[in-house]
Amino acid sequence: MASRGGGRGRGRGQLTFSMEAVGIGKGDALPPPTLQPSPLFPPLEFHPVPLPSGEEGEYVLALKQELRGAMRQLPYFIRPAVPKRDWRRLPRELKIRVRKLQKERTTILLPKRPPKTTEDKDETIQKLETLEKKEEEVTSEEDEEKEEEEEKEEEEEEEYDEEEHEEETDYIMSYFDNGEDFGGDSDDNMDEAIY
Amino acid sequence: MTQAEIKLCSLLLQEHFGEIVEKIGVHLIRTGSQPLRVIAHDTGTSLDQVKKALCVLIQHNLVIYQVHKRGVVEYEAQCSRVLRMLRYPRYIYTAKTLYSDTGELIVEELLLNGKMAMSAVVKKVADRLTETMEDGKTMDYAEVSNTFVRLADTHFVQRCPLVPATENSDPGPPPPAPTLVISEKDMYLVPKLSLIGKGKRRRSSDEDATGEPKAKRPKHTTDNKEPIPDDGIYWQANLDRFHQHFRDQGIVSAVANRMDQFTFQTQTSSEIVRTMLRMSEITTSSSAPFTQPLSSNEIFRSLPVGYNISKQVLDQYLTLLADDPLEFVGKSGDSGGGMYVINLHKALGSLATATLESVIQERFGSRCARIFRLVLQKKHLEQKQVEDFAMIPAKEAKDMLYKMLSENFISLQEIPKTPDHAPSRTFYLYTVNILSAARMLLHRCYKSVANLIERRQFETKENKRLLEKSQRVEAIIASMQATGAEEAQLQEIEEMITAPERQQLETLKRNVNKLDACEIQVVETIFLLESYIESTVKRQ
Repeated sequence: MASRGGGRGRGRGQLTFSMEAVGIGKGDALPPPTLQPSPLFPPLEFHPVPLPSGEEGEYVLALKQELRGAMRQLPYFIRPAVPKRDWRRLPRELKIRVRKLQKERTTILLPKRPPKTTEDKDETIQKLETLEKKEEEVTSEEDEEKEEEEEKEEEEEEEYDEEEHEEETDYIMSYFDNGEDFGGDSDDNMDEAIY
Repeated sequence: MTQAEIKLCSLLLQEHFGEIVEKIGVHLIRTGSQPLRVIAHDTGTSLDQVKKALCVLIQHNLVIYQVHKRGVVEYEAQCSRVLRMLRYPRYIYTAKTLYSDTGELIVEELLLNGKMAMSAVVKKVADRLTETMEDGKTMDYAEVSNTFVRLADTHFVQRCPLVPATENSDPGPPPPAPTLVISEKDMYLVPKLSLIGKGKRRRSSDEDATGEPKAKRPKHTTDNKEPIPDDGIYWQANLDRFHQHFRDQGIVSAVANRMDQFTFQTQTSSEIVRTMLRMSEITTSSSAPFTQPLSSNEIFRSLPVGYNISKQVLDQYLTLLADDPLEFVGKSGDSGGGMYVINLHKALGSLATATLESVIQERFGSRCARIFRLVLQKKHLEQKQVEDFAMIPAKEAKDMLYKMLSENFISLQEIPKTPDHAPSRTFYLYTVNILSAARMLLHRCYKSVANLIERRQFETKENKRLLEKSQRVEAIIASMQATGAEEAQLQEIEEMITAPERQQLETLKRNVNKLDACEIQVVETIFLLESYIESTVKRQ
């Protein structure tokens, strides 16, 4: 705009308010220009007040830390799933043996896939009461998705694989090894001891 | 929801429920109400994971669901409820002070599990208490039940909304999601159970003793496998009641700080206020601006037994409290020896203002605090007037005012003299708007807590290797002690951790404790500010 010029026109350097009002008198040194962003941790002028200590404070502190630890152990803490592996490239014996439930389920399940999801929603919503039961079922569905080929392998006692694949159970995978050579069992109760 | 709140929610969810729940929860908080498929698609997680996460969130009352038209169920997250997780330790500690260890464990179980049936809670708590007792003693279920009933009577725990009893004549398919209902009078009704048993005994059976025909409770035949007499009736912690208790605590301690240091008898005024608050607990709703009027005679009768002050002394105290400029107590009439109310809204306002003043004092110095109090008192002041009233040299006063202005504690009000709003011909008045300053401070508090949590996680992650090593060593030592090992062997194992490592561990522990304690402090401030803002917003 013409009136702005290069600051060379009439009334250059005039401001809309008086400088004295702001506090910068005539002839006063202006504060040095800031050439860098303010430091990340600016020095504190006043030290903060010490934290309250005492029985109540200590107790609540201990309680808080305990709660944090406890919540990690509860079933509500969901650990991230194991990534899918391409089983064609790895030796067959490394694959975790599939649980016996899968054998029956996949064959029946495939035609029922589309309506199953609405059922799942039902299950999801009505399962406020029994969290464990729901988790077992969903876990087995997950296993289905992970292992589409139904190859039953004996699994090596490799700790690495075991720990990776067990998320919801407290038992190592060989606990569920029923020795497929005996043929499938009919009962679904996985908690029974296997001989 | 501000970015700071969302970040804090994300940290809390991650710490307590893991990454998957965190991802789903934060997504819901950001985008509002969404159906299941859309969540799975937008977050890129598998449907099963989403289902699991939603179940956990619903169980803990963090997500609610609604059936929309065409049978679609939509899920909505409640950000404010997620932030309540910060206060869990305080809730549990309050239960401990009121109802001792039994109450503490009951509330802890309810908070950790979201919702639980009464029989499940009683059993678990009895088991836990039995473990801590000496050998041979066990905790009786009846005692735990009694404490539970007391908690329900004082409204600290409440029933969750129930699945409505379905009529058999309903021909259509069941709805995709139940609409849960609860009536006001049923909320604290404890089902009649006679839970016979003691902690840790396997043979205890829950019997349905009195068999009152309650419409909502189906009768189960007692069989050995799974007797669940109160199936379908779930309890949760009533957070609002806890908040009411914290607020009362805050008011009582404020009165104590202000009045009781100068009176002859210790703590009398705060006791009077505490009595008044206790009498109004059930009669006044938590969001009312002041309590129901109480007559002086009633208060006199309800004072705790140990206090034998005469009626006149009580009246004098009440007059003193009512005349106090803080206006915690107000006089609303003269019948019954004088009717007094507690001004809850004003009390919260005073507490919030005191918090602001304290923050300014600790951050900028006591002179700044003086200026702040001055502007607060006089409502609107010009710059020249500030310098005169505060008796602080002009340059310093300006400096402090601008500092506070830049941090948004103080704001400017422009009053133009001429219609063209020319700056040289406009009055600029400094003023304090408590509501907006409180909001700003609350936002900063959320950021602070998020920073504290992140720093703590960072410190723990840095020393993760060392922590794991020390845990392993401890486990080895414990197992060796159990099997009986010599002193020399134990010594050897202990030396696996070198001295500088030990030092590092000590430092880590100290830092983590400090960060945790800071968090607890900030959360208390958050509570005060949130209460004040909520109370103000409700009145508008």
